[in-house]
This record gives sequence, structure tokens and C-alpha cells, in this order.
Amino acid sequence: MRGLAQHSAVMYLYSWIVYNENSSQLEYSAMKRLTLFLAASLVGNLLLAQPSDEVSENWTGINLAITDNHVIPAYSALMQATQDLSSSAEDFCSSPNSEGLTAFQNSFHSSMDAWQQSQHIQFGPITYFNWNFRIHYWPDEQGTGARQLDALIAAESQESISSESFARESVGVQGFPALERMLFEADSLVLMQTNSYRCQVAQTIARNIDEIANGVHARWVDEFRTTVANADERGFFESAEDATIDFLKAQVEPVRRIQQQKLEEVLGESAGRERIRRSESWRSARSIRNIRLNVMALENLFNGSDDSDIQLSSVLLAEDIVSINNNFSELADSLDALPDSYTAALDADGGRENIEQVVVLLDALFESMEAALKNTDLYLGFNSLDGD
Amino acid sequence: MNIDRRQFNILTAGLLSWPTIVAASTKNRGNPLYLSAASDGDDKHWVIGFNSESGLTAQVFKHQLPARAHHIAVHEGLGVYLVVARRPGHYLWVGDLSSGKHLTTINVPDDRHLYGHGVFSSNGENFYTTENAWQLINGDSGRVVKWQAGRHGDTFTLERQEEYPSYGTGPHELLLRTDQQTLAVANGGIRTHPDRGREKLNIPSMQPSLVYINANTGDLQEQHFLEPDYHKASIRHLDQNESGLIALAMQYEGEAFERAPLLALHQEGKGLRTLWMPESERGQIPQYIGSVRFDNSGRYIAASCPRDNMITFWDTENDIMIGTVRSRDGCGVTAVDSGFLYTAGTGKIAYYDLASDQVADMENSPFDKVFWDNHLTVLPG
Repeated sequence: MRGLAQHSAVMYLYSWIVYNENSSQLEYSAMKRLTLFLAASLVGNLLLAQPSDEVSENWTGINLAITDNHVIPAYSALMQATQDLSSSAEDFCSSPNSEGLTAFQNSFHSSMDAWQQSQHIQFGPITYFNWNFRIHYWPDEQGTGARQLDALIAAESQESISSESFARESVGVQGFPALERMLFEADSLVLMQTNSYRCQVAQTIARNIDEIANGVHARWVDEFRTTVANADERGFFESAEDATIDFLKAQVEPVRRIQQQKLEEVLGESAGRERIRRSESWRSARSIRNIRLNVMALENLFNGSDDSDIQLSSVLLAEDIVSINNNFSELADSLDALPDSYTAALDADGGRENIEQVVVLLDALFESMEAALKNTDLYLGFNSLDGD
Repeated sequence: MNIDRRQFNILTAGLLSWPTIVAASTKNRGNPLYLSAASDGDDKHWVIGFNSESGLTAQVFKHQLPARAHHIAVHEGLGVYLVVARRPGHYLWVGDLSSGKHLTTINVPDDRHLYGHGVFSSNGENFYTTENAWQLINGDSGRVVKWQAGRHGDTFTLERQEEYPSYGTGPHELLLRTDQQTLAVANGGIRTHPDRGREKLNIPSMQPSLVYINANTGDLQEQHFLEPDYHKASIRHLDQNESGLIALAMQYEGEAFERAPLLALHQEGKGLRTLWMPESERGQIPQYIGSVRFDNSGRYIAASCPRDNMITFWDTENDIMIGTVRSRDGCGVTAVDSGFLYTAGTGKIAYYDLASDQVADMENSPFDKVFWDNHLTVLPG
């Protein structure tokens, strides 16, 4: 930034001289002094303005590039996947059989894949109407979702599963964890074949997830993109930089959350103390797959897509971008070597150590990001992190 | 309010700038001194005094502190400011108001810790702190401690006199009521233990309360609880206006999607009056207020929501929220002129004017990379 500031000062002087070049009031000696100063500044500028010293402050450009090339595509993919989820639920319930259940399970996996690649965006429309909790209430430490789902099924109320009422049911029965519970038990098929209301509940959850995905996508496209584009006016954001900070929080905070909530919480304190049921999506045997997709999405947020030359990483210094990308690549290699399921990963050769290695790499990534931010004027939070 | 909105709009027609605000103020009496705790990117902690004129802030003093601080109490008669350590800290750091320089540091005993707040009596004879006697686990570990204050030249003394129960757990902000005989204390309800850091140990059973305690005897005079459904709304911060109306600000410890009151008012002889955020589809409703202050008219309050990056403004005559401003990590807030000055964890300082609903950002370059802590104190000029 020092380079940029000097550059502006030099440009200002340059334009001032050009503007005044025909002025008789500008004496030769003054002109000469200015020219010498300009020359000295330019040399100084060239010497000081190493590329690695420069970080982008094109906040609006960055915000819109991420919105258009990362956020909206992620929600668009989620919307398409959940549309399939909803129709495979309908197909299955019209005649529940094992092929239909497999198709339903497959579309659950596709939807979860898409959700795991948008889960890190925890600001904007996903927070409207408690959509974030309704689509994926996890972790559910008290196990309330399971109890409420059992109660909902037992009550067999048509009113409860109507579109309007269902949105007001407990968040624990509305989203992916509840649907996973219905689809991935050993007796899932039999239970839904013998109890059509149970199938209607599964169908309702799938439809609800699809409605939420549609809503989030539509709100980003129709409204929140404009909010982001106009973030330099007083409104939802206080400035365009303020909006960039929300994207940076979506970049940094999930790294710690994945490490602690999705891995350490399950690992427990020592070998043999693992708590698999605390892992995300353990029933559908995809806890590690979720993390692999999370990291892929975070890497995409950081570096942008191939067809965009503006990306979030450009707010950081060049050498910091290199070290963060090294962290990303080590992390991706470690995760690629693991099976999808947490249980299978623990049972494999070097099981626990492999997962502990991922924990170490996530920690390193978080630390790199924190250190990189310290080299800028950007700050993600202070009072809000650890309140009093 | 000193000026009605129409008058104010006429006065500030066009682009509202800081000099206009100062000029338009009928209460402008010189240059107020603002005090706040702050930290920097290197984990160093500071107390900073600053003033502002024409939209520019200027540092008056800055001193490094032994650890992170929270609230700063001032007493004009004694000519001191007193920095209270953030929980679970032990120090009370005292400085001279006119020179800014450090006078003394007093520590609470090893078996007690502070909660970040303290208040002087108006005559300057006493100072009161909220403390934790964590050894007592029967739910009454909260303490209010009465100190005797005195100043002779550069010597400031603070002697620990009496320890009263706070009639609850986790007492936080306290104030002396307008009669100067009664303490109002926010019992946050949350049990913590220094061995467990800042971990909250009793969320399922917490019972926050507002208590009124006789400042001379420690006798409990009144205790008020929220509705049982909202027992997880930790009552943490307080302010009062000249007529004795108390504003309470809460931090909700339940689920993020649950609705709970975050503000309440209490008028002597009546029950607690809860204030509710309007239903909004734009994001989650805030569940955490970091600081609450009345404006100079005593009718409006500002309540900061640093986790939701906004400051909310409320009218206590009809119990409604009248507006919000976005402020990333904005927390410290204090009444000035016809609005509020507020500070943020980002280092930002801004002024919000209630009459015109305008924000004026302050030029605050002297405070490069300073993260303002939760509370802002003003000493009127």
C-alpha cells in the first residue's frame, strides 16, 4: 500500500505539471525542482513498490467477483441438486422400493455435496428466516432433532407437514440431519414401506430443503448481490471493505470450526475415546467427504475460478498467498488419501494419526490466514469473538 | 432531546459533517475527554484518552496495561480515571485525569477476581466493584465490594472496606442509583472458575437478576428476574437516566434461532419491561448486547450488538426500536451532544446523531491498529 500511495502522489504531481506546463507563472527553477522531485519520487516509487508489497483494495470488484463466480454458482448448484432430491423423494414415496431408496439416497448425497460447498457462507440470505439452522441443524448436542422427529412421525398430522406449517416446526426436523436419519438406517426401506406417513415426512423434508435452497439463491440473485454492489452506501454494510470482511470471515472462520467441531470433537482425548456419533453425517458415512468438499470450496473462494482474475486472495501479500496455497495443497493431499467415512478412516492403516495430521494442517492453514491478515489493515473481529 | 428533528435538519441541511454537529449542539461546553481500553495486533493492552474536534480525533494519553481491561470509571472531583481489569483479572489501574499519568495500581485479593466494572459514588468517597468468590458454588458467589477512595496530591488510595453478596452469580456492571444510597447490580447468572478460564459452567440452570442493594449495609432491597422462559438471557449491562429509569442489556445463551428479549427497562416499584427487536427477515435477530447507554435527553438508548455488527437505538417512551446503524464489531457507546459516539473493534470511531439519523465517521489516524474494547467513557468538557 505504501507503493500505491506513492504512486498516487507521483500521478498527482505529474498531472499538476502537465496542467501547468504552459503557465508563465511557473518559473523555470520551480519547474526544475519539481521535475527533480518527480524523478526522485518515481525512482523511489519503483524501488519501493515491489509487487509483494501490494495488496488490492478493489473491494467492490472483489466482492462482486466472489458473488458472481463463487457464491451464486454454489447456491445454484445446491438449488439444482435439491430439486432432484425433492423429485426423487416424490418418486420413491409413490412406490417405495429398494431402487427408489437408492436413488433417493444418491440425490441426498448430491445435495449434501452441494451444501458442503456452500456451508461456509454464513452471512446474507442464508441467515434469513433461520434458513441456516433449518437446512442443517448441526451439531445437535442434546439429540433434540431425533426426539422431535419421532414425535412428528408418531403424531401423523397432515397439518404439520403442509408447506406453511412445516416451516414453523422445530429446526431439528426440517433439514439434512433429519432426512439422513430417515434414509440411512438399516430398516429405512421397511419403515417407509409400512408407514406411508413416514415417507410423506421424508418427502416434506426434501421439499423443504429445496424451498430453502431456492429461496437463498433467489435472494442472492434478486437482492443481496445489489446490497453487495452498493456496499459503499450506508445500508446493510457500512462500506465495500466491510462486505469484503464478511467474505473473509467465510474464508477463515470455517477452518477453525471444521478442525474443532468436525474433527477434534470426534477424536476425543486419546485412541479408543473417539465419538463417531458426534461426527457430521456419520449415518450416511460421509463425514470426511464433507470436510474434503469444505476445503475444496474454501480453496475456490480463496483463489477464485479460472475465468476470473479478481479473487479474495488479492487482499493479502503475495508471499502470504503462496504459503496459504501450500497449506491448502497439503491439506487436500491428506484428505484425498482418506476414505469418505470417519469410521473407515479410523479403521484404515495409521487411522487416528492420519486424522490428527489433518487437524494439524487445518490449524496451520488457520494460523497462516491469521498471520497474513495481520500484514494488512483488515480485522475480522475483536469484541465479537469473545464477548463480555 | 435538546433540538427537535426539524430544527436539526435545518441546521444540518446538506452534508452533515462533524463541525456542523458541534456547532449545532446546545450543550457544547468545551472538549469532552473520551476514555477506552484497547488492544493492538501484538496482544498489548492499553488505556487511551482522546478528544475530538471538527471530526478529527486526537490522542490525549495512552498507557500500556498489565492485561486486557474492560470499563473505565472516572471521577472529576478526585481527578482520576480508574481502569478495571477484564474478568478474570485482578487489577484496578488508576490515572490522573488532567495529565493522564499513572498514579497507582491496586489488586484485588488472590481469592477474588474482577468482572471488568466499577463505579464511584458521586462524592468520590467510595468506589464499588463486582467480584467473584468462586470458591462458593451454591449459586451466590457474586460479590460487591465497597472501597474507600482518597486523593492527596499524586497519592491516590483505595482501601477495601466491605464485601457484600451480589445475591446472584456472575455480577457484571453496577451503578449507583440517583439517590446515591442504592446500588443496582446486573447478576449475569453465569458461573465461571479461574481454573476453567472463561468457560461457562451452569448455562442450563443460570438465573440472572437485577438487584438493588443498600450501598452502606449491603442489604438486598429488590430483586427482579426475567420470565422463566428467558432465564438464559444473561443480564450484563446497565445504565440509568436522570429520572432513575434503568436500562438492562442482555446476552442470550440459548440457541441462536430462539427469540429472547435483549433489553429491558425498570422503573422503581414496577416489574421489568422487556423490549423486543422487531421481526425481521434480514438475518438472525441479535442475541448479544455489548453495551447500553442513555442519550443526553434520557429518553433514547443505544444498545450495541458487536456480533451482529450493528448499533440499535430505542425510544423508551414507547418501547420501540427506532433505528440501527451498521458498525463492524461496534461496541463502545456513550452519549454526546444529540446522539452517541461509538467505537469498534476495527478501530473505527463514529458519531450517530439521533435527530438527523446521520452518521459521521471520525478521522482517527492516530490510533492505527487499535481495537477498541467494549466500553467507552466520556468526561464532559
